[in-house]
Amino acid sequence: MAWPTIDRNTPVIDKDAPPVLGDAVKTKIRSFFERYETKKAALLPALHIVQESLGCISWQAMEEVAALLEIPPSEVFDVVTFYTHYWTKPRGRKAVVVCQSITCEVMGANELLEAIQRQLGIGVGQTTPDGAYSLATEECLALCDHAPCVLINEKKHSRVRTQDVPALLADPNNDKLDVARSELYDP
Amino acid sequence: MPRIEIDGVQVECRGGITVLQAALDAGWSVPHYCYHPGLSITAGCRLCLMEMQLPHPKTGTMDWSPKLVPSCQTMVRDGLVARFASEKVRGNQRRTLEFFLLNHPLDCPVCDQAGECLLQDYSLEFGEPVSRMHDAKHKTPKKDIGPRTLLYTDRCVLCTRCVRFTREVSGTNELCITNRGSREEIDVFPGRPLDNLLQGNVVDICPVGALLDKDFLFKQRVWRLMRAKSICPGCSTGCAVWIDSNEDIVYRLKPRYNPGVNDWWICDDGRFGWKYVHDPKRIVRPLLRRGGAVETPAWDSIPEIVNVRLRAIVDAQGAGRVAAVLSPMMTCEEAWLLIRFIRGLAPEATLVSGPAPLEGEMHTFPVGAIGANVKFTVRREKCPNRRGVDTLVSHAGGPALSFDAFCEQAAAGAFSAAWIVGGYPKTWVTKELAEKIAKIGLLIVQDMFPNALTDAATLVLPVCAFAEREGTFMNYAGRVQPFDRAIAPPDGARRDGQYLYELAGFAGLYNPERVRGMMAEEMPLLGKVEPAPAMAEHQH
Amino acid sequence: MPDYEPVLLRNVGVEGSTTLPVYRKRGGYRALAKALKMSPQEVTEEVKAAELRGRGGAGFPAGVKWGFLPRDRTVTYLCVNADESEPPTFSNRVLMEHDPHQLIEGTIIAAWATQARVAYIYMRVEFHEPFHILQRAIDEAYAAGLLGKNILGSGYDLQMYIHRGAGAYICGEETGLIESIEGKRGWPRIKPPFPAIEGLFRRPTVVNNVETLCNVVHILERGAQWFTSIGPAGSYGPKLFCVCGPVNRPGCYEGPMTITVRDLIHGDAWGRGMIDDRGVKAVLPGGISMGILTGDELNMKMDFADPLKYGLLGLGTAAAVVVNEDTDIRVVLRNITRFFAHESCGQCTQCREGTSWSYKIARRIAAGRGRPEDLDILAETAGNLGMMPGLSICGLSDGAAFPIRTLVQKFRGELEGYIRANCGVRMAQPVSE
Repeated sequence: MAWPTIDRNTPVIDKDAPPVLGDAVKTKIRSFFERYETKKAALLPALHIVQESLGCISWQAMEEVAALLEIPPSEVFDVVTFYTHYWTKPRGRKAVVVCQSITCEVMGANELLEAIQRQLGIGVGQTTPDGAYSLATEECLALCDHAPCVLINEKKHSRVRTQDVPALLADPNNDKLDVARSELYDP
Repeated sequence: MPRIEIDGVQVECRGGITVLQAALDAGWSVPHYCYHPGLSITAGCRLCLMEMQLPHPKTGTMDWSPKLVPSCQTMVRDGLVARFASEKVRGNQRRTLEFFLLNHPLDCPVCDQAGECLLQDYSLEFGEPVSRMHDAKHKTPKKDIGPRTLLYTDRCVLCTRCVRFTREVSGTNELCITNRGSREEIDVFPGRPLDNLLQGNVVDICPVGALLDKDFLFKQRVWRLMRAKSICPGCSTGCAVWIDSNEDIVYRLKPRYNPGVNDWWICDDGRFGWKYVHDPKRIVRPLLRRGGAVETPAWDSIPEIVNVRLRAIVDAQGAGRVAAVLSPMMTCEEAWLLIRFIRGLAPEATLVSGPAPLEGEMHTFPVGAIGANVKFTVRREKCPNRRGVDTLVSHAGGPALSFDAFCEQAAAGAFSAAWIVGGYPKTWVTKELAEKIAKIGLLIVQDMFPNALTDAATLVLPVCAFAEREGTFMNYAGRVQPFDRAIAPPDGARRDGQYLYELAGFAGLYNPERVRGMMAEEMPLLGKVEPAPAMAEHQH
Repeated sequence: MPDYEPVLLRNVGVEGSTTLPVYRKRGGYRALAKALKMSPQEVTEEVKAAELRGRGGAGFPAGVKWGFLPRDRTVTYLCVNADESEPPTFSNRVLMEHDPHQLIEGTIIAAWATQARVAYIYMRVEFHEPFHILQRAIDEAYAAGLLGKNILGSGYDLQMYIHRGAGAYICGEETGLIESIEGKRGWPRIKPPFPAIEGLFRRPTVVNNVETLCNVVHILERGAQWFTSIGPAGSYGPKLFCVCGPVNRPGCYEGPMTITVRDLIHGDAWGRGMIDDRGVKAVLPGGISMGILTGDELNMKMDFADPLKYGLLGLGTAAAVVVNEDTDIRVVLRNITRFFAHESCGQCTQCREGTSWSYKIARRIAAGRGRPEDLDILAETAGNLGMMPGLSICGLSDGAAFPIRTLVQKFRGELEGYIRANCGVRMAQPVSE
């Protein structure tokens, strides 16, 4: 052939590899089946649970979720790539998400993002070598009254100024929620 | 039959179809990509939008609605009034086409689809010659998505026909859409490539050159190809196909619309299983074994050779010592001619229906569907005309045997002369079979490839491939389907129809319609030919 | 605006407002008890009489929507749209974070009216605190017999589940939301059939916004007549307004739909003016999808009708972001086009390619390399996106078209100035793209 092509014929999953989804995760996913008319409708919750458990959604995880929900792996692949929340590459322990939408931009989100990149030494979509932080951007987080805003895992940080960045990223509790949590989606 | 009005013209159409289908059936050229009558409706490409009359919300009188409506999602109903010939509709077509071309690579010189590409055709009709985008095109990668198919994603227009095909027709779900927005790509799960018996159809339904057949890649430009209407001989389903050839070389087979039999599809076995047509090992010349030597007699001498030798046997030992084995690879006309010749010479000759090879399992699609939900079937009987041959043999009456019984009796020495027709693309003669039949003194064998029978035969005649012949096949359901010849037989060969015609006592060129007429006088059933209807000219 | 007593926001700032005991002490779940004694038809009629228009952006009357459900249906679903992804809206977030039981009560009442057996709350995944707060409130409601089997002894059963999204604006479109609950990519469906006939799992379905359902509680408690005593005809009832950007007091506030954009920015009960008294260059008052206003158009009333006179698509989510005179309008254009290019689902050709092309042009203009024909192409592309109705399957393309068209139209002078100067001053590029 004249052009080089990406090979989709060769398997990317080692067929002798042990399963990546533990029993607890599978039980948690199955507990969502009774909420819907089809098993497939549990796909978004299942992927959230898997991502919380494994840090990202690998090819093997996609296949195992597909088998559990009795749907083709191609449909899992379809959904994982459509939604921006799912990571297919390994993610750091803390995901820093910077809002990019109109209010945050007019309130200085670009400078904030640059400051975070400088502080962490990584670009958007990347992870620090020690696995502590990953950086991502997202469209409007609906925290516009706190612009410019940043999410670190589940916790929101409001009106973050560039000079606040080093302290923010050094704080070990920067992802701890103040409110009582529901464990519904925890693996 | 609802009556609708399109562009001021009254159109009577079938019920239960969309306005787009009705317009195409009536000859309108309406651009469309995502609509396909065999797939679900998504209305995503937005090319087929039309104007429609609806009751005015305030006055209630019928007036042109300001809203354009996709003609592929509007069902016909009596009294519907629509138009395509308006500035609004044409404006939308032009602008939508511009959007399709924005990121499309200028690959025409190297793209297989050129010449049969809807993007090219629509651009010619209503496109702009120059792109207005000064920014970089969004480039997506080329992919090898299966053992037989490539996906050049940068050419894809995201009509999603291929994805719907693997979900709704083959039921194998290999293809999916990934990413979102202008970054979308068609893809497969890595390690689970596009690999099912119907996968070749996605290349047909792709309106552009994104999905490509590896077998045909770069082989031939489509405007050099001549099309002939044929029937696939791969199994008893009898799918209608187009044979695309150039200078007597077949380049590819494509499905031909045939509602109720194969609709718009064919399987990969039929699509790619014709390579034997150009196999150099084929028998192309008559061979005569005389006194230890092997001769190649001229074609014109064959009728005399055959008649003399057969008559000798009949006179000496009686007509009952003669047998004819008719292969289910023969057309109805060829079989009828052979029966006429043999029984004319030896009225008590035994007729035998040749073996119908059964292979593998029956495959139904979509995978897992049963009953009325089955859309396509690949049958176990790997020959096109067993029912036709059986019908002719039983109609002819007189002595007849099954093939197995024939073999036993031949081994026991019951026959002194036999005319055996093979013509199977795959090996069909085992050592045991040859030993049983080789006892027959005068063995005339018609076959495509050399085997133990042709090695033992007195006279060997070539069987031509389906692409070189014409006539009718009767499929599993009893439907008699005609087909035309596409290419000339290999050098030195003569079509079966021609020499059987001469043997049967007719002069001139073999004319299958004429033979069919004569056949129909005896058996009206075989005269009821059902050619596949043509698809609408502007449909794809 | 003096003497306005908050209704929807009445529990905000109250200690323990997210818990059932506090909600009940402040009068909560009385409306539900009342509704369960009425027939579903009576509840629907009350909401119809109140002329409650949907608060999610489309403004479709809620009672009328409930009335579309087929009479002979057996299974009905109610979906609550808590996807709230329209920049810069955050009113639903405030409601769920501070008064989750108000939403729960409104949902149960709406489910009773539509006879739904399950209510799915589709919440965007980025709402972490609201999720935990609302899920715990739902758990409280189950424990107190307000959800599950035989609610308050009425014989009515209702399950309520939160279904978290995964980062897609298009899943705020009602059929995109339905597809997402079903476990697929959020591609909106072609209509007909409409969700009321064939929606979630192909059953009759109603999709309502969070704020709309919170209003249902008060309509049942105080009556339709009370509701129609607030605000002008065609825009009845209390409304939440968001204001953000460089104003002194960004936030979510409540009032009737009689206020103007000027009130929202400068009013004492509202934004309290611009930081450092900077001038207003532009406002996007309905969420970015509705279009843009210049600093001279601040007299626009924030109701369902007035925005159309200013060339906007509608009231939208009534969330205003203010752009001050120091902000380059090219930044605004680039940001808006980038949003729609990222969020377009990709199904329809015009939206998929049009939003992406618009973004490429806006990015180039912002980088100082604009060409004279770019503005015409932007205006034309906006027209092809969705100015003419019917060109695409859902309203995202209309939402992309209006801001681009109004921005290019109303700020043409400024944009042309940049292009003509081609000053080559490199804009601060967003580093992510």
